[in-house]
Amino acid sequence: MPVKVHIHATHRQYTNGLEVVEAQGGTVGECLNDLIKQYPGMEKALFAKKGKLANIVEVYVNHASAHPNELVKPIKDGDDIHLIVMLAGG
Amino acid sequence: MLTPSERERYDRQIMIGEIGEKGQEKLKRSRVVIAGTGGLGSPIAIYLTAAGIGVIRVIDHDQVALSNLNRQVLYWEEDLHRKKVDSARTKLRGLNSAVEIEGITETITEDNVSRLVEGFDVIVDAMDNLPTRYILNRCAIEKNIPFFHGAVNGFEGRAMTIIPRETACLRCMYRGPVPQEKFPVIGVAPAVIGSIQATEVIKYLVGIGKLLTNRLLIYDGLNMNFSEFIINKNPNCDHCGSHVRKE
Repeated sequence: MPVKVHIHATHRQYTNGLEVVEAQGGTVGECLNDLIKQYPGMEKALFAKKGKLANIVEVYVNHASAHPNELVKPIKDGDDIHLIVMLAGG
Repeated sequence: MLTPSERERYDRQIMIGEIGEKGQEKLKRSRVVIAGTGGLGSPIAIYLTAAGIGVIRVIDHDQVALSNLNRQVLYWEEDLHRKKVDSARTKLRGLNSAVEIEGITETITEDNVSRLVEGFDVIVDAMDNLPTRYILNRCAIEKNIPFFHGAVNGFEGRAMTIIPRETACLRCMYRGPVPQEKFPVIGVAPAVIGSIQATEVIKYLVGIGKLLTNRLLIYDGLNMNFSEFIINKNPNCDHCGSHVRKE
Protein backbone atom coordinates (compact mmCIF):
# COMPACT_ATOMS: atom_id res chain seq x y z
CA MET A 1 0.00 0.00 0.00
CA PRO A 2 1.55 3.33 -1.00
CA VAL A 3 2.01 6.31 1.28
CA LYS A 4 -0.54 9.13 1.10
CA VAL A 5 1.05 12.56 0.79
CA HIS A 6 -1.30 15.42 1.70
CA ILE A 7 -0.48 18.53 -0.28
CA HIS A 8 -0.90 22.02 1.18
CA ALA A 9 -3.41 24.29 -0.59
CA THR A 10 -0.67 26.63 -1.84
CA HIS A 11 1.20 23.70 -3.46
CA ARG A 12 -1.73 22.10 -5.27
CA GLN A 13 -0.94 24.21 -8.32
CA TYR A 14 1.99 21.79 -8.78
CA THR A 15 -0.07 18.59 -8.36
CA ASN A 16 -2.81 19.35 -10.88
CA GLY A 17 -4.99 20.47 -8.00
CA LEU A 18 -4.73 17.14 -6.19
CA GLU A 19 -5.03 17.30 -2.41
CA VAL A 20 -3.66 13.80 -1.82
CA VAL A 21 -0.95 12.12 -3.91
CA GLU A 22 0.36 8.56 -3.54
CA ALA A 23 4.09 8.00 -3.24
CA GLN A 24 6.55 5.18 -2.47
CA GLY A 25 9.59 5.10 -0.21
CA GLY A 26 11.08 3.89 3.04
CA THR A 27 11.79 7.36 4.43
CA VAL A 28 10.17 10.80 4.23
CA GLY A 29 12.98 11.89 1.90
CA GLU A 30 12.43 8.93 -0.46
CA CYS A 31 8.69 9.58 -0.55
CA LEU A 32 9.28 13.25 -1.36
CA ASN A 33 11.69 12.27 -4.14
CA ASP A 34 9.00 10.01 -5.59
CA LEU A 35 6.47 12.83 -5.25
CA ILE A 36 8.82 15.17 -7.15
CA LYS A 37 9.31 12.58 -9.90
CA GLN A 38 5.56 12.65 -10.45
CA TYR A 39 5.16 16.39 -9.94
CA PRO A 40 8.47 18.20 -10.64
CA GLY A 41 7.04 21.58 -9.59
CA MET A 42 6.98 20.35 -6.00
CA GLU A 43 10.76 20.42 -5.77
CA LYS A 44 10.95 24.21 -5.75
CA ALA A 45 7.97 24.37 -3.39
CA LEU A 46 9.52 22.03 -0.80
CA PHE A 47 13.30 22.38 -1.03
CA ALA A 48 15.57 25.39 -0.49
CA LYS A 49 18.41 23.37 -2.07
CA LYS A 50 19.20 19.71 -2.70
CA GLY A 51 18.48 17.76 0.48
CA LYS A 52 17.46 20.85 2.48
CA LEU A 53 13.77 21.50 3.07
CA ALA A 54 12.62 25.11 2.85
CA ASN A 55 12.31 26.62 6.33
CA ILE A 56 8.65 27.37 5.74
CA VAL A 57 7.72 23.70 5.12
CA GLU A 58 6.60 21.49 8.00
CA VAL A 59 6.37 17.71 7.69
CA TYR A 60 4.02 15.54 9.74
CA VAL A 61 3.91 11.73 9.67
CA ASN A 62 0.66 10.19 10.85
CA HIS A 63 -0.35 13.55 12.33
CA ALA A 64 2.85 13.93 14.41
CA SER A 65 5.66 16.38 13.71
CA ALA A 66 8.64 14.78 11.96
CA HIS A 67 10.94 17.64 13.02
CA PRO A 68 13.94 17.53 13.35
CA ASN A 69 15.71 15.48 10.64
CA GLU A 70 12.44 15.02 8.78
CA LEU A 71 13.92 13.52 5.62
CA VAL A 72 15.41 10.43 7.30
CA LYS A 73 12.29 9.55 9.28
CA PRO A 74 11.18 5.99 8.42
CA ILE A 75 7.93 5.48 6.59
CA LYS A 76 5.90 2.32 6.22
CA ASP A 77 3.15 1.37 3.81
CA GLY A 78 -0.13 3.08 4.53
CA ASP A 79 1.42 6.01 6.43
CA ASP A 80 0.18 9.57 5.92
CA ILE A 81 2.57 12.44 5.25
CA HIS A 82 1.21 15.99 5.60
CA LEU A 83 3.23 18.79 3.99
CA ILE A 84 2.19 22.05 5.62
CA VAL A 85 3.31 25.61 5.18
CA MET A 86 4.11 27.64 8.28
CA LEU A 87 1.92 30.70 8.79
CA ALA A 88 3.08 34.04 10.11
CA GLY A 89 0.19 36.46 9.60
CA GLY A 90 -2.02 37.99 12.24
CA MET B 1 -16.41 38.78 45.34
CA LEU B 2 -18.62 39.68 42.43
CA THR B 3 -20.91 42.68 42.59
CA PRO B 4 -24.64 42.33 41.80
CA SER B 5 -24.00 44.08 38.49
CA GLU B 6 -21.21 41.63 37.63
CA ARG B 7 -23.45 38.67 38.52
CA GLU B 8 -26.01 40.03 36.08
CA ARG B 9 -23.52 40.87 33.33
CA TYR B 10 -21.81 37.48 33.43
CA ASP B 11 -24.94 35.46 34.25
CA ARG B 12 -24.83 33.32 31.10
CA GLN B 13 -21.22 32.24 31.60
CA ILE B 14 -21.55 31.82 35.37
CA MET B 15 -24.33 29.37 34.43
CA ILE B 16 -21.68 27.16 32.79
CA GLY B 17 -20.93 24.57 35.45
CA GLU B 18 -17.18 24.62 34.79
CA ILE B 19 -17.02 28.40 35.32
CA GLY B 20 -19.51 29.32 38.03
CA GLU B 21 -18.94 32.28 40.35
CA LYS B 22 -15.54 31.00 41.42
CA GLY B 23 -14.35 30.90 37.82
CA GLN B 24 -15.71 34.36 37.15
CA GLU B 25 -13.81 35.66 40.16
CA LYS B 26 -10.62 34.10 38.76
CA LEU B 27 -11.17 35.91 35.45
CA LYS B 28 -11.71 39.17 37.35
CA ARG B 29 -8.39 38.73 39.16
CA SER B 30 -6.48 37.92 35.95
CA ARG B 31 -4.05 40.05 33.98
CA VAL B 32 -3.62 39.38 30.25
CA VAL B 33 -1.19 40.84 27.72
CA ILE B 34 -2.30 40.85 24.10
CA ALA B 35 0.71 41.38 21.83
CA GLY B 36 -0.70 42.97 18.68
CA THR B 37 -4.14 44.46 18.14
CA GLY B 38 -4.69 43.62 14.48
CA GLY B 39 -6.69 40.81 12.90
CA LEU B 40 -6.08 38.33 15.71
CA GLY B 41 -5.83 40.90 18.49
CA SER B 42 -9.26 42.37 17.71
CA PRO B 43 -11.41 39.29 18.48
CA ILE B 44 -9.09 38.23 21.30
CA ALA B 45 -9.41 41.63 23.01
CA ILE B 46 -13.16 41.88 22.42
CA TYR B 47 -13.98 38.43 23.82
CA LEU B 48 -11.62 38.67 26.78
CA THR B 49 -13.01 42.10 27.64
CA ALA B 50 -16.55 40.79 27.34
CA ALA B 51 -15.65 37.81 29.53
CA GLY B 52 -14.57 40.07 32.39
CA ILE B 53 -10.77 39.75 32.61
CA GLY B 54 -9.48 42.12 35.31
CA VAL B 55 -6.65 43.83 33.44
CA ILE B 56 -5.87 43.67 29.71
CA ARG B 57 -2.76 45.25 28.28
CA VAL B 58 -2.81 45.75 24.52
CA ILE B 59 0.46 46.45 22.73
CA ASP B 60 0.76 47.69 19.16
CA HIS B 61 3.01 50.28 17.53
CA ASP B 62 0.77 50.92 14.54
CA GLN B 63 -1.92 53.35 13.43
CA VAL B 64 -5.21 52.34 11.85
CA ALA B 65 -5.05 52.14 8.04
CA LEU B 66 -7.86 51.65 5.54
CA SER B 67 -6.43 48.27 4.50
CA ASN B 68 -6.83 47.04 8.12
CA LEU B 69 -10.61 47.33 8.09
CA ASN B 70 -11.32 44.05 6.27
CA ARG B 71 -10.29 42.11 9.37
CA GLN B 72 -9.37 44.32 12.34
CA VAL B 73 -12.88 44.64 13.72
CA LEU B 74 -11.86 46.82 16.66
CA TYR B 75 -11.46 49.71 14.21
CA TRP B 76 -14.00 51.62 12.19
CA GLU B 77 -13.72 54.28 9.51
CA GLU B 78 -13.77 57.02 12.16
CA ASP B 79 -10.58 55.51 13.65
CA LEU B 80 -8.44 55.89 10.52
CA HIS B 81 -4.95 57.24 11.34
CA ARG B 82 -5.51 56.97 15.11
CA LYS B 83 -3.08 54.95 17.19
CA LYS B 84 -4.48 51.43 17.32
CA VAL B 85 -4.12 51.09 21.08
CA ASP B 86 -5.98 54.38 21.67
CA SER B 87 -8.82 53.29 19.44
CA ALA B 88 -8.83 49.79 20.96
CA ARG B 89 -8.96 51.21 24.47
CA THR B 90 -11.94 53.42 23.61
CA LYS B 91 -13.87 50.51 22.10
CA LEU B 92 -13.02 48.01 24.83
CA ARG B 93 -13.88 50.45 27.62
CA GLY B 94 -17.18 51.10 25.89
CA LEU B 95 -17.83 47.36 25.87
CA ASN B 96 -16.92 46.73 29.52
CA SER B 97 -15.89 49.66 31.70
CA ALA B 98 -15.06 47.35 34.61
CA VAL B 99 -12.08 45.92 32.73
CA GLU B 100 -8.89 47.91 33.11
CA ILE B 101 -7.49 48.41 29.62
CA GLU B 102 -3.88 49.48 29.28
CA GLY B 103 -2.74 50.58 25.84
CA ILE B 104 0.95 50.64 25.00
CA THR B 105 2.23 52.03 21.71
CA GLU B 106 5.60 50.34 21.42
CA THR B 107 7.34 47.93 19.09
CA ILE B 108 8.08 44.71 20.97
CA THR B 109 11.83 44.03 21.01
CA GLU B 110 14.32 41.85 22.88
CA ASP B 111 15.11 44.92 25.00
CA ASN B 112 11.62 45.86 26.17
CA VAL B 113 9.69 42.58 26.11
CA SER B 114 10.46 41.61 29.70
CA ARG B 115 9.17 44.95 31.00
CA LEU B 116 6.08 44.83 28.80
CA VAL B 117 4.88 41.45 30.12
CA GLU B 118 6.09 41.73 33.73
CA GLY B 119 3.42 40.89 36.28
CA PHE B 120 0.95 39.39 33.79
CA ASP B 121 -0.60 35.92 33.99
CA VAL B 122 -0.66 35.11 30.28
CA ILE B 123 0.70 36.41 26.99
CA VAL B 124 -1.42 36.13 23.86
CA ASP B 125 0.34 36.06 20.50
CA ALA B 126 -1.54 38.29 18.07
CA MET B 127 1.51 39.33 16.08
CA ASP B 128 1.85 39.53 12.31
CA ASN B 129 5.43 38.28 12.05
CA LEU B 130 7.54 35.34 13.24
CA PRO B 131 10.59 37.18 14.66
CA THR B 132 8.45 38.99 17.27
CA ARG B 133 6.60 35.75 18.05
CA TYR B 134 9.96 34.16 18.89
CA ILE B 135 10.90 37.12 21.11
CA LEU B 136 7.64 36.62 23.01
CA ASN B 137 8.05 32.83 23.10
CA ARG B 138 11.52 33.05 24.65
CA CYS B 139 10.42 35.65 27.18
CA ALA B 140 7.35 33.59 28.13
CA ILE B 141 9.57 30.58 28.81
CA GLU B 142 12.13 32.59 30.78
CA LYS B 143 9.44 34.23 32.92
CA ASN B 144 7.29 31.08 33.11
CA ILE B 145 4.21 32.78 31.65
CA PRO B 146 1.82 30.70 29.49
CA PHE B 147 1.86 31.75 25.84
CA PHE B 148 -1.09 31.40 23.47
CA HIS B 149 0.01 31.20 19.84
CA GLY B 150 -2.10 31.95 16.79
CA ALA B 151 -1.33 32.77 13.15
CA VAL B 152 -3.26 33.16 9.91
CA ASN B 153 -2.84 33.35 6.16
CA GLY B 154 -5.63 33.49 3.60
CA PHE B 155 -8.49 31.28 4.74
CA GLU B 156 -6.14 29.27 6.96
CA GLY B 157 -5.04 29.55 10.56
CA ARG B 158 -3.36 27.71 13.39
CA ALA B 159 -3.25 27.81 17.17
CA MET B 160 -1.25 26.18 19.94
CA THR B 161 -0.98 26.74 23.69
CA ILE B 162 2.40 26.75 25.39
CA ILE B 163 2.88 26.08 29.09
CA PRO B 164 6.55 26.82 29.83
CA ARG B 165 8.65 23.96 31.24
CA GLU B 166 5.85 21.48 30.52
CA THR B 167 4.92 21.52 26.85
CA ALA B 168 6.41 22.04 23.42
CA CYS B 169 7.01 25.69 22.59
CA LEU B 170 6.72 27.62 19.36
CA ARG B 171 10.45 27.37 18.80
CA CYS B 172 10.44 23.56 19.09
CA MET B 173 9.25 23.57 15.46
CA TYR B 174 11.86 26.12 14.33
CA ARG B 175 13.67 25.25 11.11
CA GLY B 176 15.37 28.56 10.36
CA PRO B 177 14.43 32.10 9.34
CA VAL B 178 11.50 32.61 7.01
CA PRO B 179 11.23 35.63 4.69
CA GLN B 180 8.81 38.27 5.95
CA GLU B 181 6.14 39.03 3.39
CA LYS B 182 2.85 40.87 3.13
CA PHE B 183 0.29 38.15 3.77
CA PRO B 184 -3.18 37.69 2.25
CA VAL B 185 -6.08 37.27 4.68
CA ILE B 186 -9.86 37.31 4.84
CA GLY B 187 -11.24 38.71 8.11
CA VAL B 188 -13.08 35.55 9.14
CA ALA B 189 -9.80 33.60 9.43
CA PRO B 190 -8.37 35.64 12.35
CA ALA B 191 -11.90 35.76 13.78
CA VAL B 192 -11.88 31.95 14.07
CA ILE B 193 -8.30 31.65 15.33
CA GLY B 194 -8.53 34.64 17.70
CA SER B 195 -11.68 33.16 19.22
CA ILE B 196 -9.85 29.85 19.75
CA GLN B 197 -6.97 31.67 21.44
CA ALA B 198 -9.41 33.57 23.69
CA THR B 199 -11.12 30.28 24.55
CA GLU B 200 -7.79 28.78 25.55
CA VAL B 201 -6.96 31.81 27.73
CA ILE B 202 -10.31 31.60 29.53
CA LYS B 203 -9.89 27.84 30.11
CA TYR B 204 -6.38 28.30 31.44
CA LEU B 205 -7.29 31.16 33.77
CA VAL B 206 -10.32 29.35 35.18
CA GLY B 207 -8.41 26.04 35.28
CA ILE B 208 -10.80 23.93 33.22
CA GLY B 209 -10.88 21.77 30.11
CA LYS B 210 -8.11 20.29 28.01
CA LEU B 211 -5.66 22.83 26.64
CA LEU B 212 -4.24 22.85 23.14
CA THR B 213 -0.81 21.85 24.42
CA ASN B 214 1.58 19.67 22.39
CA ARG B 215 -1.08 19.90 19.70
CA LEU B 216 -1.10 22.23 16.72
CA LEU B 217 -4.64 22.94 15.54
CA ILE B 218 -4.88 23.87 11.86
CA TYR B 219 -8.02 25.44 10.45
CA ASP B 220 -8.74 25.30 6.72
CA GLY B 221 -11.62 27.66 6.04
CA LEU B 222 -11.80 26.87 2.34
CA ASN B 223 -12.46 23.17 2.91
CA MET B 224 -13.98 23.92 6.32
CA ASN B 225 -12.06 21.43 8.40
CA PHE B 226 -9.82 21.36 11.43
CA SER B 227 -6.75 19.11 11.67
CA GLU B 228 -4.68 18.38 14.72
CA PHE B 229 -0.98 17.51 14.77
CA ILE B 230 1.15 16.33 17.67
CA ILE B 231 4.12 18.57 18.44
CA ASN B 232 6.77 16.99 20.62
CA LYS B 233 8.93 19.01 22.95
CA ASN B 234 12.29 19.29 21.19
CA PRO B 235 15.09 18.53 23.69
CA ASN B 236 17.48 20.58 21.55
CA CYS B 237 15.17 23.58 21.28
CA ASP B 238 17.19 26.77 21.77
CA HIS B 239 14.35 28.34 23.80
CA CYS B 240 13.05 25.54 26.01
CA GLY B 241 15.49 22.63 25.59
CA SER B 242 17.09 21.04 28.64
CA HIS B 243 20.47 22.67 27.91
CA VAL B 244 18.88 26.14 28.10
CA ARG B 245 17.51 25.60 31.60
CA LYS B 246 20.84 24.36 32.97
CA GLU B 247 22.60 27.60 31.99
